[in-house]
Amino acid sequence: MSNGITILEQPRVSYCGDHGLLLEAEGDLALPTQERIWAVNEVVLGWPGVLDTQPGMNSLLVLIQTDQHDPVEYHDRLLRAWGDSQSGRRAGKLLEVGVVYGGEGGGDLPDVARFHGVDIAEIVQLHSAAEYTIFAPGTGPGFGYLFGLDPRLFIPRRKVPVMRKVGGTVSIAGAQAILGGPKHPNAAATAPTGWHVIGRAHDVPVPFDIARDPMSIVSLGDRVRFRIERIER
Amino acid sequence: MIEIIQTPPLNSVQDLGRFGYRSYGIGCAGAMDRVALAAGNLALGNGANLAGIEFQLFPVQLRFHCDIAIALTGADCSPTLDVHSLPPWWVVNVKAGQVLTLNSPLGGMRSYLAVAGGIDVPVVLGSRSTQSRDGFGGFAGRPLRAGDQLPTAPGPALQFRDSFGLGIQPPDAVLKGGYHSWAAPDDLILRVIPASEYDQFDAASLHAFKTASWTVTVQSNRMGYRLAGTSLQRMNPTEMRSQAIVAGVIQVPPSGEPIIQLSDGNSAGGYPKIAIVIQSDLWRLAQAAPGRSLRFVEVSLDDARAARTEQAKYLADVARLCSYCRSSRAGA
Repeated sequence: MSNGITILEQPRVSYCGDHGLLLEAEGDLALPTQERIWAVNEVVLGWPGVLDTQPGMNSLLVLIQTDQHDPVEYHDRLLRAWGDSQSGRRAGKLLEVGVVYGGEGGGDLPDVARFHGVDIAEIVQLHSAAEYTIFAPGTGPGFGYLFGLDPRLFIPRRKVPVMRKVGGTVSIAGAQAILGGPKHPNAAATAPTGWHVIGRAHDVPVPFDIARDPMSIVSLGDRVRFRIERIER
Repeated sequence: MIEIIQTPPLNSVQDLGRFGYRSYGIGCAGAMDRVALAAGNLALGNGANLAGIEFQLFPVQLRFHCDIAIALTGADCSPTLDVHSLPPWWVVNVKAGQVLTLNSPLGGMRSYLAVAGGIDVPVVLGSRSTQSRDGFGGFAGRPLRAGDQLPTAPGPALQFRDSFGLGIQPPDAVLKGGYHSWAAPDDLILRVIPASEYDQFDAASLHAFKTASWTVTVQSNRMGYRLAGTSLQRMNPTEMRSQAIVAGVIQVPPSGEPIIQLSDGNSAGGYPKIAIVIQSDLWRLAQAAPGRSLRFVEVSLDDARAARTEQAKYLADVARLCSYCRSSRAGA
């Protein structure tokens, strides 16, 4: 495994500019750890002076209303809240999507197979066999960052981002996976990414719509399964 | 109502940003130069957070369909009202039918129009800012086009002691900014707080970060600024987990040339973060055009707090001084 991940031995709180803090959990990515991140998030949202929060993979961003408060006030408190937090299982919903692996929509699949020195069928088998959990919100509203990638599929992000078509993208990078929603009518057809797009979910539902109640069809802790529709070579 | 007669793409309705929806991965959007928008609002007696229009491409022409007080702030775009030139950073009453023209900036990048009572678009998820990438907020969830008719809130007209209007002291004349001993006179100096991966960079990179200059490239917009210059490298380039990120974060992709995420940037990402620009300097970056040279200087949280206090005092002074020069005329 090249370019492994830095794993903290102790939890850490660092400053995120002059208006936020970043809590990073110790240890590897794991569901019990992420459940504690979600639990701390709930606690922190109740603190006066907190403007917004956002879980990441093994981490939590806390933004402070700096007109009346200062991030320094929250440093030790956040670390204590982490120490006090407990994991608790969420009964997440299961979303299953069909995927066409490889071909035009999943053009990075051969590269990923070459990187691991195996046939593309093995990559597809490992990717579709796992059940993924939505760990954290993504770069925008959608299905978020997925945990559950088989460690044998670990692959570093690209050194130089590439342009890939958006809409139902099934991608992997590092120890993480993502599923892209359908292309938004206003959005550009392609977007830069450092991730490896290995397949395409053509019938993926719209994950987020402000006109809907609830706006998002998924929540943190929900699970995702990828079903092989076919493999294109 | 304000009618857009002519506009290039990418000009949009913005307030000071959208907060409280990061659990959906929704970033802050909002004005790139929050100081300029806030100052314009406060000069009119508005709350600082009312919506105005951010202009970043020119020329722009718009027609007012009601008598209303307006404030122009941000970059000096040689504004004209019908055939009359207006100074930059100016507050004035306009009459129904008058046409405002904004031209390419003489300096800076972004210009703001605030109106008494604010641009009256609906509040969506806590803000009137345009969330362009997700297609909601602002005017119809998108940047402005010719023919758009922007609603303005009905409110009392403002009366100025001098009908010619009044000027606002621009922030760069008041706010001190950072100090960098290596900086050339025209260099933009950004004060930064070291971020979570700072210690992972090698000694040469950390030295360069404090001493070298970078250039704002043409790949710079509301999402973020790409910088050209010295490449920064980590000692051991491990793979990162994706984490939530904020406007002002200086990310270092494997190429080593920094990217600063801004108002429309991603709410999360996996590039290492060397430092984060303090909130009080983001408006300076918003006015930095491609080609501008910039340098980073590390400051303490105390320094950052002092900068916030100084900025808050500047805005309070704008509100107070402008209030001396106008009086509301109820029912007028």
